Amino acid sequence: MQAQTRNRQWPWVAIGLSLAVAFTLSMVSPADSVQGDLVRIMYVHVPAAWLAYLAFFVTFVGSVGYLTTKDLRWDRIAAASAEIGVYFTGLAIALGMIWAKPTWGVWWTWDARLTLTAIMFFVYLGYLALRRTTDDPVIRAGRSSVLGVLGALQIPLVHFSVVWWRTLHQPPSLVRPDGPAIQDPLMLTALIVGVLAFTIVYGSLMVKRIELIKLDDQKAAIEQSIERPVAGEAVTVPDLGASS
Amino acid sequence: MTTGFWHQVSAVVHRDLLRERRRGDVLWITIPFGAIALLLIPLAVGTDAILLRQIGPGMYWVIVMLFGVLVSVGKASNETLPQQDASALLGLDPAAGFVGRATSATLLLLIFEVVVGVVAVGLYDVSIIGIPWLIVTLIIVAIGLALLGTLTGSIVNSTSAGTALVPLLVAPLSVPLLLGATQSYEGLRLGHSILSWVLLMVAVVLIVAIIGVLTARPLQET
Amino acid sequence: MTESPLVELDGVGVRIGSTQILRDVDLEVDAGEVVGLFGANGAGKTTALRLMATLIRPAQGTGRVLGADLTSPERYDVRRRIGMIGHTPGIFPELTLVENLLYAARVAGVPSERAGEALSAVGLGGAADRLAGASSHGMQRRTEFARELMIDRSLLLLDEPHSALDRDAVDLVEGLIARTAAEGGAVVVVSHDRDRINKIASRTVELAGGTLS
Repeated sequence: MQAQTRNRQWPWVAIGLSLAVAFTLSMVSPADSVQGDLVRIMYVHVPAAWLAYLAFFVTFVGSVGYLTTKDLRWDRIAAASAEIGVYFTGLAIALGMIWAKPTWGVWWTWDARLTLTAIMFFVYLGYLALRRTTDDPVIRAGRSSVLGVLGALQIPLVHFSVVWWRTLHQPPSLVRPDGPAIQDPLMLTALIVGVLAFTIVYGSLMVKRIELIKLDDQKAAIEQSIERPVAGEAVTVPDLGASS
Repeated sequence: MTTGFWHQVSAVVHRDLLRERRRGDVLWITIPFGAIALLLIPLAVGTDAILLRQIGPGMYWVIVMLFGVLVSVGKASNETLPQQDASALLGLDPAAGFVGRATSATLLLLIFEVVVGVVAVGLYDVSIIGIPWLIVTLIIVAIGLALLGTLTGSIVNSTSAGTALVPLLVAPLSVPLLLGATQSYEGLRLGHSILSWVLLMVAVVLIVAIIGVLTARPLQET
Repeated sequence: MTESPLVELDGVGVRIGSTQILRDVDLEVDAGEVVGLFGANGAGKTTALRLMATLIRPAQGTGRVLGADLTSPERYDVRRRIGMIGHTPGIFPELTLVENLLYAARVAGVPSERAGEALSAVGLGGAADRLAGASSHGMQRRTEFARELMIDRSLLLLDEPHSALDRDAVDLVEGLIARTAAEGGAVVVVSHDRDRINKIASRTVELAGGTLS
């Protein structure tokens, strides 16, 4: 019993601890010489953007897994990951805009990565909208996994198209052919820890969300197994005497 | 088996085109809707001839993407449940049904593109350049958009949202087609090679076609 | 592939969304049988027909129709041999009566001459070029009978086949039922008209509480 409670609590503990460490590091790391304190947005923005890509990749894997095995567990992974992905994509976009206004003077700029992220946001928003329209878990899984595969396979093409179309963005801040651009070791540590912390958050949220979906499915299954009247029993023999 | 497949495809194409001819949804609703959208834009952004010539091609392609998708959600491209049941019990291969519906949507989209294109040339004074490549672009975009609309149409089939969800699902996925079409025009104007854009659009077509054929059966489950 | 019985349902349940429509349905239909299916409004008769037409997957239990498991891809291969006439016509209102049959013939791989012949056989030879949407409900039904005449079916599933029909059309339906049974097929007829069904059916079953008795 004790072990089970602890088992259920660990994702929250993991989320709390990792975010606390990441937050502390991002606050003690020095301000940027050019951007000042504004640079601290990066410690959330970059990990959130990373999570978005990770989450959508997992949705793709879950969708393929469902289509090949017809095992609903894959669909739950895909669904949970898409939800988390849409949330973090929204967060990354919002933070990016808050950062862009003082830095670039505009809320939005039409560079390739921003555009791609916004498009991904809408692709998976559509995925979640589709899931809401079907109750039957098997049919919902079949339909949304096709969309999950279609969306994921289109994203590289969207990526190429927007990159060819325009590249204005600063070069990626962490991974560069000539080594990390961020020179200050504390800033770099804070960023890496932030990415790790957010990945732990993602993993923990996934565990919780999948658990929740599973409970929902179990609830539906229990409701089904108890002797409930079938739909037809709602219709009874007319009794005209009853109204008088 | 393969002759049977193409026989079924042609039966579905013939059926859908007949239905559209009698209903006239594309001809009398979607095309005028696209045309009036082209008429509204200058009212909002200004009627300066140079500006219009500049934005004309882009506006044309946006209208094709946003309104063209309505072609594949029209009544003539959709079947009621009894109609779907009857076709299934004729032994219609779901993949043949998908290819047939996408083919008829392609043909209707080509008509849409041409008529709305004439309106765009007339209203915005868009210059037509590189006709062979332009035709190639029009055809690939029509196929790609028809495939996307038909596939997402099957995905939402018999869900509670129905076809209302299709434009939301298609719009973000049609970005490579939109950029391919607009940048091809730009490339032709500046005398650059547009081969990479054409190949990108062909890749979209191939991916959607393959997914559509492979998932036709599972998507038929209701 | 052994096919008899043509329909074999064993403890089958059907759910649509979260609603249980059928439960624990056991049914066997042998070749040559005409089975009458009775039940109150909303009892699940139409769902039972769509289940036997392989168009709905059972949520519980196992079922085979024409030898094909209802959950396996085999069911796609037997569909062409199953005819179903539901109470909403499965024809296209924008097409003429003969165009509807020509479409059916092309998809089913039947020679197109048979479309015209079948239409004449159901007495609609003179109305071939009328739009289905502008035809009466009875004419639409006759067109569906023509489709079933045109394609050789081993299993015929009829939902209220007598509704909206005049005397001649009733004879037509009963002829189609008798022919299918005589040729080694089977027919399941849903109806409220017990007297009529008792005359043509080899046996009847009652659908109540989501299950058969």
